[in-house]
This record gives sequence, C-alpha cells and structure tokens, in this order.
Amino acid sequence: MNIKPDLKFVKQIISAGGCSLKKCYQCATCAVVCKLSPDNKPFPRKEMINAQWGLKDKLVSDPDIWLCHQCSDCTAYCPRGAKPGEVIGAIRKLTIAHYAFPEFLAMMVGQIKYLPLLIAFPVLVLLAVLAATGHLNIPQGEIVFGHFLPHTHIDAIFLPVAIFAALVFASGVIRFWRDLQTQCSGNCGQGGLIPSLISVIIEILTHSRFNKCEVNKGRSLAHMGVLYGFIGLAITTALAVFYLYILGQHSPYPQLSPLKIIGNISGIILLVGISLIVLNRFKVKVQASIGSYFDWLFIGVIYLVVLSGLLAEVTRLAGIALLAYPIYFIHLVSVFFLFFYAPYSKLAHMVYRTIALVYAKQKERE
Amino acid sequence: MDKKLGVYICSGCGIGESLDMEKLSKVATMGYKVPVCKTHPYLCGEEGLGIINSDGEAEGVNTIVIAACSSRVNHDIFAFDTNKIMERVNLREQVIWSQAVSEVLPPNNEDTQMMAEDYLRMGIVKAQKTELLVPYKPEGEISRIILVVGGGISGMTAAIEAGKAGRQVVLVEKEQTLGGFAGRLYKQFPKQSLYQSLQLPPHEILLKEIESNPNIKVYTSAKIKKIAGGPGLFDVTLEQEGKPSQDEAVQFRVGAIVLAAGFVPYDAAKLSHLGFGSSPNVITSVQMEDLAKKGKITRPSDGKEATNVAFIQCAGSRDPNHLPYCSTFCCSTSLKQAIYVREQNQDAEAYIFYKDMRTMGQYEDFYIRAQEDEGIFLTKGEVVGVETIAGNNLAVTVENTLLGENIRVEADLVVLATGIVPATAIEFITGEEPQPTTEECKVEETTAPKEVIIRSDILNLDYRQGPELPQLRYGFPDSHFICFPYETRRTGIYAAGCVRHPMDMSASMDDAVGAALKAIQCIELTNQGKAVHPRVGDESYPEFFMQRCTQCKRCTDECPFGAINEDEKFNPLPSLTRCRRCGTCLGACPERIISFKNYSIDIVSSMMKAIEVPEEDEEKPRILAFMCENDAIPALDMAGVNRLQITPYLRVIPVRCLGSMNLVWISDALSKGIDGILLIGCKHGDDYQCHFVKGSELANYRLSKVKETLDRLRLESERVKLVQLSINEYDLLPGIFKEFMETMEKIGPNPFKGF
Repeated sequence: MNIKPDLKFVKQIISAGGCSLKKCYQCATCAVVCKLSPDNKPFPRKEMINAQWGLKDKLVSDPDIWLCHQCSDCTAYCPRGAKPGEVIGAIRKLTIAHYAFPEFLAMMVGQIKYLPLLIAFPVLVLLAVLAATGHLNIPQGEIVFGHFLPHTHIDAIFLPVAIFAALVFASGVIRFWRDLQTQCSGNCGQGGLIPSLISVIIEILTHSRFNKCEVNKGRSLAHMGVLYGFIGLAITTALAVFYLYILGQHSPYPQLSPLKIIGNISGIILLVGISLIVLNRFKVKVQASIGSYFDWLFIGVIYLVVLSGLLAEVTRLAGIALLAYPIYFIHLVSVFFLFFYAPYSKLAHMVYRTIALVYAKQKERE
Repeated sequence: MDKKLGVYICSGCGIGESLDMEKLSKVATMGYKVPVCKTHPYLCGEEGLGIINSDGEAEGVNTIVIAACSSRVNHDIFAFDTNKIMERVNLREQVIWSQAVSEVLPPNNEDTQMMAEDYLRMGIVKAQKTELLVPYKPEGEISRIILVVGGGISGMTAAIEAGKAGRQVVLVEKEQTLGGFAGRLYKQFPKQSLYQSLQLPPHEILLKEIESNPNIKVYTSAKIKKIAGGPGLFDVTLEQEGKPSQDEAVQFRVGAIVLAAGFVPYDAAKLSHLGFGSSPNVITSVQMEDLAKKGKITRPSDGKEATNVAFIQCAGSRDPNHLPYCSTFCCSTSLKQAIYVREQNQDAEAYIFYKDMRTMGQYEDFYIRAQEDEGIFLTKGEVVGVETIAGNNLAVTVENTLLGENIRVEADLVVLATGIVPATAIEFITGEEPQPTTEECKVEETTAPKEVIIRSDILNLDYRQGPELPQLRYGFPDSHFICFPYETRRTGIYAAGCVRHPMDMSASMDDAVGAALKAIQCIELTNQGKAVHPRVGDESYPEFFMQRCTQCKRCTDECPFGAINEDEKFNPLPSLTRCRRCGTCLGACPERIISFKNYSIDIVSSMMKAIEVPEEDEEKPRILAFMCENDAIPALDMAGVNRLQITPYLRVIPVRCLGSMNLVWISDALSKGIDGILLIGCKHGDDYQCHFVKGSELANYRLSKVKETLDRLRLESERVKLVQLSINEYDLLPGIFKEFMETMEKIGPNPFKGF
C-alpha cells in the first residue's frame, strides 16, 4: 500500500493535545495494559504510529479510537511519556472536526481564541430577538420567565438550532459510517444492525464497557451522572412540551409537579456528575493528564447550563428579579451554545462513539 | 646460588586441628632433610613473618616454602626479597577446607593427611628445583616512544593522551590530513547532556592539540613498510608518498604501538537489492555527509533539493549475507542526517526504516529528540526493494512494518546506512587466496588450527606467523573482547577505536585513552624485564636449549602471540619482549628444550614423582589434575572456600595455561602409577575464555595424540580427560572429580603401580 505521510495532520494532532505523540517508540505497553483493547489488532499502539505518520484517512475512520474510554492507564504506564490516552483523545477531537460541517466551525470550537466569538453569536441572536420583541428590560411583578421571553420565541430560536445540529450530525454520521465500512476487509464478523444497536444502547445505559476500565470506576460513575442528568433533562423538556402544548399549562409550574421534580433531580445529578468528572481529572493529572481545552470547554458549558438553570430557579423562587432574569438569559445562551455547537464539540462523542460501537459490535470487535 | 630451604607450616585457620602437624613436619625434616622447618599458629601475623625473616638473616634461609593458605591470598604479606625463592603450598583451601570438615572424613583423617603431605612434598621439590629469577634484559636499547597507527579520532586521541603523559609519540596517517572519517562529517550527533543538538566533529580541536604538543611527531601520506622486533624494540620503517627512494625511508624504534587504523564503510556495491547502483539517488550515509558538508542536500541525479529522504538502516548489517554484526552508530547517524534534512527545509520529510533502533546509553535522549521532530517518520520494517519511478524518484517497499501492513513510500533520495568493516579485514595483497575464516571448522582436530591472517597492509610485521594481527572474528583484531579490551594477539600492539569493534566517536576517544595507557604499561614493564597481561609483572621467561632443537617449528607455529621468529635454518628465534610467559612453547616442544627458571618439564615431573602412590591393594587410587592457574585454580579455591567436598584421592598441579601441558607429563604420571589424569582449563572454541587465547584449544588438539602414548603403554584412553571450566563454575568441580573417580573405578587401577 502506498503511504504518504502527512506532516500537516501530525502537526494538527500535536496542537489538538497530542503533543507527546512523537515520543512513542512502539513498545506496545499501552496495548497490553489496556483492558478494553481487543486481542486482534489492539489499540492504541497502531493508532500511535498511524498518528506519527499522519495517516489521517486511517485514523478518522478508525472505530478503535471510540472503543477507548480514556482511563489513562496507557498514559500512566507509557515508558516514554507518549501519553497515548491524550493522543487518542486528540484524534477523537480531530475526527469530530473532520466529519463536522462546516469544518471551520469545528476549528473555532477547538481553539480558545475563538471562544468570545462563539459566545457572542448566541448572545447577539438572543439579544436581537429580545430587542425586536421589546423584551430588553426586566419585567415587573411576579417573576415569570415567559414574560421575559415567551415560549413561542424560545421555540422559534431553539428549534432551528436543534434542527441545524441534527442535520450537521446526520451528514457526519453518514460519512463516518461509509468510511467505517472501508476498515474491514476479509474475515470480520457481520452482525445485524438493529441487534447491535440495541446491545450498544444497553451497554451505554449500563456503562458496562466503561466499567471494564477498572482503574476508573469513579469516572464511570461520574460519566453516568452526566448521562442520566441529560436524559432526565431531555425527559423534562419533553414533559414541558406536553404540559404546554397538550395540557395548555404555562410555566411556572408548582414545585411538586412531576416536571419540576424530574427536572430538579436531573439538574442535581448532572451537577454532581460533572463535578465528579472534574475531581477525577485533578486526581489523575499527575500520572496522566488533566485534559485539553476541548474537554474543558465542554465541562464549562455543562456547568454553565446546569448552574444557570438551577440559579435561575432559585432566584425566581426568592423573588429577586434583578438576578433571576439575567441568570435566565445566561441559561438560554448556554443552552444555545450547547446545542448549536454540539456537532463540533466534545458532545459529539455521544454520536460518533455510539456509531463506532455499533460498527464494532457488528464486526465482533471486542 | 646455594640454596638453604626453610619450610614454614601454618597451623592457623583450622589446619592444626585437621592435620597431624608433627607428621607433616617430618615430611620436610626426615623426608627431604630440610634444615629449617617450623610450625606457627599464625604465620601471616607479625610474629610468624618475623620468624621467617630472622631465619633468613640468622640462618641464611633463602628458599622459603610456606605451607598455609592459597597463593591467591596474602600474596602481599608473604612477599620477600627478590633474592629469595618462595613457594606456597595450599593446605587450607585445597586440603582442609575441601576435606576435613566433611561429616564423612573426621579431622586427622588418613587420606587428608596423605594429601597434605603430598602437597608439601611437591612444594619442597618445586622450591628445590626453582632457580632465582633474573628479569629479562634484551640486547639493544629499549625505546619509550609510542607509535600510533592511524590519524583518525582514535589515533589522534591516543597520541594526545600519550603525549600528555609525557611520552614521545609518532603518529602515522596514510591520508594527507589527520581527522579520518570525522573530517568528512558535516556534524556529529550530540555527545553531551542533554543530547539534543548536533555538534561539530572534534577533529579540528584535536588537531590543534596535536600541533601544540611537541611530544607528537606526525607523518601524513605515510604508510608502514615494515615493523620488526618486539615491545621496547619495534623497528619501524615508513614509506612516505612522493619519497619512494629507499634512502629516504624513515626508520625509527618505538616501544609499543597503538593500532587505530579505523574502518572502511561496507562496500555499497554489494547492496544492489537496496537500489545502490541502479539510481544515482541511492547513496550511502558517508555520501550523505559529503552532500550536507557541501551546503545543501540535493539529489545527485538533477541537483534538486531533497525534501523526501528515506533512510534504510542496517544496510548490509546484521545480515548473514553481508556483515553479521551491528555497527552501533548508524542509527544515531541516520537520526542526525534526518535532522539535517529537516533543518534544511521545515516542510521536508525524512523516513527511517529500521530493524531495531539502537541508540545505546544516553543517545536514547537524542533518539527521543529526533523522534519528536514531527517531520521524521520512523518504523521498524524490512526493506525489500527500492525501485526507480517517474522523475528519478524512488519507491521504497517495506514489509512487516509497525503500521501493520506492507508499505510503499516515495522518496527523492534514499540513504543507505552502511556498516563498518575494520581496516584489518581488507585484503590488499592479491595473488594469494585469502583463507575463509570458516575453514577452521573443517580442519580435523588432530592438526593445530592455522591462523588466518589477512594481509591488510597496515603494520607489515616482520613476524613469522604473518604480517598483521590475528583476528578474533569478522576481521577485528581483538583478542579478548570482553575481559581484556585493547589486547591483541601481538604483544605491545593495542587496538583502539573502530578497528577493534564498531563504536562511535566518543567511545573511540575513550578507547584510545585505554589503549594509550596499555602501551605505556607495556613499555614500563618491558623496561623492567617483566611480563605484560595476563601475567603482569612475571619476571620469568622461557629459555631455549638450542643444541637439542630439531627445528620442528612447533613452538614457532603454536605460540599464540607470534613471539618466535626463525632463522634461515628454521631455528626458533624467540623475541622475549613479545613473550607472555604462557609456556605454550614449553608444552609444544617434543624435545623438551624450553624451560622457565620456575616452571619446566623437570620441575613438574619432579613434583609428580614426589606424590606417593599407594600400592594397588591399599585401594587408594590417585588421580592427578593439571589445572589452569587463571580460571581452574581460582575455581578450586572457591570450592574450598565454599567447603565443597572433593575426593581425597586427587592431587593438583597448577599449570600456567593448558597450552603449556607437555605430553611427557602424561606418560610420566601414568608410568608412575597415577590412575587417571584430568586437564582442567578454560573454555575454547568461538567463545573461548583462555587467557592465552589458544592454550586450551592446543591442549585439546595435543590430547588427540595422547591416545598413541596410551596405546603404547596399553592403557585405556579414558584415563586422560580434558575438562573445560569457567571460573564461576567452581560448584561443578566436586562432580567432575567424582565422575572421573567413578570412571577410574570402572576401568580399574593403573597396572603400572609399584613399578
């Protein structure tokens, strides 16, 4: 096979957080210590050399990078400090960028210098809507967020945002799935798509795969918190739609309504989960690494979403309008940010990892 | 010298408890009429030594036998004037420690006592027969000048170091300038912490040092026409380019020689499978240096800048069809050259295909530094082909790569990291068929293996055995790769740098220092009439009783160090400053005309005669072991120290080397009634451990002739056996003796007993 090393891609991996990449001398300690790596063509050794040679095509369509849950064992045991865990993380980031459309947005999400610009966009959109509808002030009287920005406006903003994200994801997924098919030639297993998908979803919900990373049971729990927090919030959102459009009830809802209970609990689970993630990262930072900007951006956004959500509720109940409305505004900005940039951010792992796991399940690659 | 013997028996360390000291003293006083015989419980103490010294002064005792511990210990304490003869009898390690403490053999055991008495007899006899040593003084004036052959980094360093030590040095270089390969380098890989940046090769600094040192005389464009003589007395004739006439030949005498002839790169013409010769864009790492030194790395075919450069490691190295060994620095060299490529152009790419990346020691840091350059791509793999494709480009096909598949990479320049061939391995004089080294294996064991000496036209020694150094392997003139660096098989000639084994420049510089020190030691010892390695300081030397010589040439052939030339009538002409005192000549001589003052056919035969062999009906067999002083005797001591039990029927005679085993000793021993004879020496063969290189191998070959002797005496051939032993295998000794005793029991007692 003809090989053309790609110096540019090597440099991209290095700047995406894989700066130790070139240290690897292929001893394969990483592949041996990894609990998740399959026996046949194990990772991350081969990913390391492919990355050193800048073989982009091979890497972006490599399902194995998504089989890794970054327990950082490989990084801790690497005799050369090549930090395979970090490198694979960087490759995942570049893979997300590669399949995202337009790619420049992914590039912007990956670099801190563009952060103000990225934040400015939802702020301006929301401010524009508020200004256009004459809501650019703090409403008087009982605090009802619907007075600040009616739900119709919210739907008009957030529905297109969600659709945009979904479309970007769809285009990425289609290309990713197509590229994955080139990975396996010859004798690979060929399981059914639906059964594979079902068992992957079960795996994700139970974190059974994640739990195989024995060293980081704590991380698995934290991640589960975040996942279930989000699922709970998704259910809350669905209930809100039901209350509003089917039952015709407008917010605010009583604190003891199922929607409020589920929403509050989910928010707290999410908060606890993401805090545990942060703690875990500090715990492993010595032997492994604290993570890249890409990771921390995502963590920051989740914090912003959950804290602004909870604080908006608290300040609303406390009747401090001066705080409640601005915090609500921040909440809206952060949710906009989370959704709009999802296909370019770490959140996209949710989609690509699932797809890669389904593919791996189909090919009996475990 | 009129000898007056004094025998001093120590009863310390348990000797007194285990042996009957009175009976032992009687051996000396009654058996040998020794005038002075004393026992002392602590002979190595002040009082004990006082007795010996005062006996010397008051009674005129000048031949001392110390019956105490091994001669390998307390040698600094039992050190007497050079006008006294001293012999040590080992009653401790070799007798009581390996006998009396046994549960089977209680103290004062009869067999232990017999053993001790025999050893005492042997010691007394040896002392009686030994003559006072007189250090060898050669005719002619000993030179203290050091000749350094080769003006590369190793040679220059050796010259500088010897010069700094106050020695006169003559440095001979065949090229017009000094510097060797370093002079061709653009840069060298880092030699100091943190091993990150390339640096300039060291030759210019060394050159300045040489120029400023008045002790060093340099001849460039010169080669050695002839070297005659030996250590202290090497007479060198130089031939200088442009001065061909005989009258102008430079002649001088030197004391010792450092051979730093360096290497030549492996002939890339033999690497056509890697594309060499089929495209001008396939070059060697030496050519790569030339390109880099010129200023810009360009392709030979069209002068275009090379931006995709592939390096092929182990090009003709670690390959049974080419060079079987690793040349040690090619990996670092290619990493360095990859950095050249990258420094020239930040978008350039360099690929390195290696068998194993070998960057020893701290060069690992340099490897990491090169690896971290994002434009250097490395993979292990087997390069199976280099073909020319469109536009004079090259495609390198590599199999079994770490990338998990066979790959094909395009490059505009391919660099072959060729290994090194020692200068001594290059045959210059054609016409004579060079003997392949494998020939030795085919030679039957009954003939002494002939040495292969490649006529490399470097030293042109006037030695009977050949004009250059014998080789250890692959043309390297080393004689003892691991234990004794710098040593070659020609005394006074020390190899340093890549001619000795592959090494990088800083290792070569270290090596040169060692070889220079060796040369200085050699001159000093030769000047004092003493032996050099491995019998450093030995003042004995072989003497030839020429009247009885039959010109059989065995001594001249078999001397492992080529110390013996011959005259036109084939009489041996020993050059004694070349002699290492191993006694191989003594072992070889069928006429027994070669002897040392303290080691001869007669001395050893007399020692054997001193052994009391019991009658057959006493059922006390006797086996005799000739054991090498270098490894086997220390091993025997260690067995004693570890209280390993050894058969009481054993008697041991130390020999300088198994090579000094004369067959007459075997027939003497057997005709005396000794039941069996063991020859215990160092391992021979490819990984030999013989300190004299060929000794144990020669003993093995001579032993094949013993069968004749045994047949003549109508004796079983199992009665003589050669055993190879390393110094660390002391624990095997009891088993070796036990097994041999069992063989003796099987074949029965020697019928010559009592004759």
